[in-house]
Amino acid sequence: MSDTINRRLGPLFWIAVGWLVLISLLALLAPWLPIKDPDAYYLVRGERPPYAPSATHWFGTDQDARDMFARTIFGARVSLVIGFVAIAFGMLVGGTTGVVAGYLRGRTDRIVSFVFIVFLSFPSLVLAILITALLDRGLVTIALTLGVLAVAPVGRLARATTLSFAEREFVTAARAIGAGDRRIIIRELLPNVVIPMGALALLGMAVAIVAEGGLAFLGLSVEKGPTWGKLILIGAGSRELEKSPWIAFGPIIILFITVLSLNYAGDRVRSYFDVREIGL
Amino acid sequence: MQRLAASVMLILAVSMLTFGAMNLLGDPLFNILGPAAADTKPESLAKVAAAKELYYLDRPLPERYVRWLGDMVTGDFGVQFGSTGQPPVSELVKERFPRSLTLLVMAQLLAAMIAIPWALISAARANKPADRISTVNSFLLIAMPNFALAVILKYVFGIKLGWFPLTFKATDPWLTRVYQTFLPALTIALPAAAVYQRLLRTDLITTLQEDFILMARSKGVGRQRVLFKHALRPSLFSFITVFGINTGTLIGGSLIVENIFRIPGLGSAIVEAILREDFPVVLAIVMIITTAFVLVNVLVDAVYTLIDPRVRR
Amino acid sequence: MTSLQTDGRVADGRLLTVEDLRTTFATERGPVCAVDGVSLTLDRGQALGIVGESGSGKTVLSRSIMGLLPSTARREGSIRFGDQDLLGPNAPDMSRLWGREMSMVFQNPMVSLNPVMRIGEQIAEPLRIHLGMSRRDAKATAIRLLRDVRIPEPDRRVDQYPHELSGGMRQRVMIAIALACGPTLLFADEPTTALDVTVQAQILELIAEQRAERNMSVVLVTHDLGVVAGHTDVIAVMYGGRLVEIAPTKVLFSQMRMPYTEALLQSIPRLDQKSHTRLNAIPGRPPDLHDPPRGCAFAPRCAFARDRCREEAPPLATAENPDHKFACWYPVGSPEYHETKERISAGLEIGSTS
Repeated sequence: MSDTINRRLGPLFWIAVGWLVLISLLALLAPWLPIKDPDAYYLVRGERPPYAPSATHWFGTDQDARDMFARTIFGARVSLVIGFVAIAFGMLVGGTTGVVAGYLRGRTDRIVSFVFIVFLSFPSLVLAILITALLDRGLVTIALTLGVLAVAPVGRLARATTLSFAEREFVTAARAIGAGDRRIIIRELLPNVVIPMGALALLGMAVAIVAEGGLAFLGLSVEKGPTWGKLILIGAGSRELEKSPWIAFGPIIILFITVLSLNYAGDRVRSYFDVREIGL
Repeated sequence: MQRLAASVMLILAVSMLTFGAMNLLGDPLFNILGPAAADTKPESLAKVAAAKELYYLDRPLPERYVRWLGDMVTGDFGVQFGSTGQPPVSELVKERFPRSLTLLVMAQLLAAMIAIPWALISAARANKPADRISTVNSFLLIAMPNFALAVILKYVFGIKLGWFPLTFKATDPWLTRVYQTFLPALTIALPAAAVYQRLLRTDLITTLQEDFILMARSKGVGRQRVLFKHALRPSLFSFITVFGINTGTLIGGSLIVENIFRIPGLGSAIVEAILREDFPVVLAIVMIITTAFVLVNVLVDAVYTLIDPRVRR
Repeated sequence: MTSLQTDGRVADGRLLTVEDLRTTFATERGPVCAVDGVSLTLDRGQALGIVGESGSGKTVLSRSIMGLLPSTARREGSIRFGDQDLLGPNAPDMSRLWGREMSMVFQNPMVSLNPVMRIGEQIAEPLRIHLGMSRRDAKATAIRLLRDVRIPEPDRRVDQYPHELSGGMRQRVMIAIALACGPTLLFADEPTTALDVTVQAQILELIAEQRAERNMSVVLVTHDLGVVAGHTDVIAVMYGGRLVEIAPTKVLFSQMRMPYTEALLQSIPRLDQKSHTRLNAIPGRPPDLHDPPRGCAFAPRCAFARDRCREEAPPLATAENPDHKFACWYPVGSPEYHETKERISAGLEIGSTS
């Protein structure tokens, strides 16, 4: 958050981490938690839904009298899985390519770098639209699509970090005692690349979660079940906002706190380890 | 020159990627003719042959690519698939593009207009309470997803306060349409402004420690004038770079914002086209966006030379 | 010709009186006293040299007088400029004096000019701010000033950017900017250090010439006694934030009393030496101002220091010449000084014969 290197993570960091743990647990355990059924219609005789937030419906209900709190928690399942799978894929593929390109240099590096540039210069949302529209709109497809989009930014950072470390003494020393490429990459480079990547992973997960929301607004998100993006979309129409703003604002608040926590935690980790230059 | 070549290469790579993906992953014939494409009836077969001829679908992929590219360069984006009798894609683009462009230009202008004074104020008060509050604010804004911000702005300014209209009418006079575009533009501008502010603030603080700033002070130049006349211009470099690069990201964001505020621009056009797998439209829009992106970067280079005389050759 | 304002200015006589000036910086490791109880005076048209190694406080002293300090600095004592008290309750707004009454030429012309502003604009700026000149008048004056500082083709140069000029040219531009409003006091902080040797003399000559022409006072800050020798009337030597010797230039060179001044003089490279011969740099380092020594600050590095020097800081004492003051218990010429000197040369002889 600040420009200066802070050698403390600070209480806010732990609050952010606490929130992330809480929301993950809620999502994970949702079916067994004493919350309402996200797909049930809680119609009240003589009153037309949507119902405003109350003790029974914390976040109110939607037009079909479905409980928004339960839907938001179940929406977290999809949104978090998408975020996690996407960034895991990006890390695995982008990280590996980036480290290898940065280590081998030469032609491999030039080709990989060009591919990264092509991907980066492509408005990523357009690419996501293309892929999801041409393939199906299942959970795995969407998660992997966003994962593909994460490859280039992650790869670029991994490459840059590798380049900066490949020249350091410990790598030269390892080479001097006859260590092989594989050994140098795994034993010497990876541990150093992992920390900045960890910070990037947190930020990247936030980006992926937001991207799902964006796709939802284009009608291209996961078809089955609620997601945060789809929940907000349902409440975002002019009429809905005017009559029942809670439909959109419940999920918006939860989504925002989650994204904020991911950003803040990522930012703190980055400055804690004094990592410079993270480009997303 | 090298940059120009790289830009052309980039556009070509993107076009091949898109063209290839569209043709390999989908079945153009099916999109043109519907179920008839799979028929074996003689009249259907004739239709298929005619369509193949008309859209060059009987030629191999590379040739089709070259043909399409050639047409593209001359401004012919081809015809829309889907229902017959649709106007050519260039008509659609001509109608939709100005709206998206207005939105984007307005958003970037707003972002710069917000970011520059904001950065100047916080740099002048670096690490004092006002600056710290502004840092928290920019952090919150950056974390805010654009669709969430759109919903919030729409709710507050459109519905609760009623300051801005929630509809966009293509038939309204130009000025009214600009007014209608303000709220969506602000949605795109605010997070962008926060990004620019953080960047510019850091650079300003660095510049303010340069010797020539002290020199300016020693001439009796007042603090404000030092900030505007001496510190701002040399601090603009990373701001301009990111301003350019960010345009690409904003194009993506504007697709969503267009949909939320119901502005019939390229954003809604590409979504509709993708849903009915209308390849020429998708291709055209993707190419426009990519070219715009590359152009912006060339423009950024030109602006550099304006700001820094040392870059001039 | 522009109206060089003369109202309220000191035509002759005392221009600057500094008394017991103390400048303290608040740092993370606690307060640091960079200028410690300095007193000096300067008459109109006079040139004062402030000499010392880097870290001696000479730059901070000149900036303290001018008031050009970061917000972490605190000044105590008194500074009188003409009839104005710069540190008193009625202190004037310094930005009205800067560039108009007093201006500064900085050490490094490569980084002290705004890289994205034309030369002409940078010279015109103080003219427009202080004298309210029109854009056109200011440009005409800028060209005249460029001519004054001996820049060829001033009509063309005025529209150029700093990077198109050589270092020497840029320093001339800096001088032109400093002279623009006809100040009565010019600070030149190591004006030649960043320049080629051949250019150094020209710049010093230019400052001297302009001083004579404008009856301007000059404060020349440098680490090089050779630079100030020919271009000043009075020399003040600083060490560890304090004044350790001050005297009229001729007196100082003929009767210097402070061993530090002597050491500084010996560290000047001479023309009769072979190039690249080792300089007689003063061994050791300047004192840590976070934790200044108890006695004389120079004692740890002084060949002539005795127990008393390490215990008790010497006060500024007056020499035979009433204008000559120095702070040393065993100054050059004292019996103790000679004793030590003989011991050293004896030691050297023994060393060379064995």
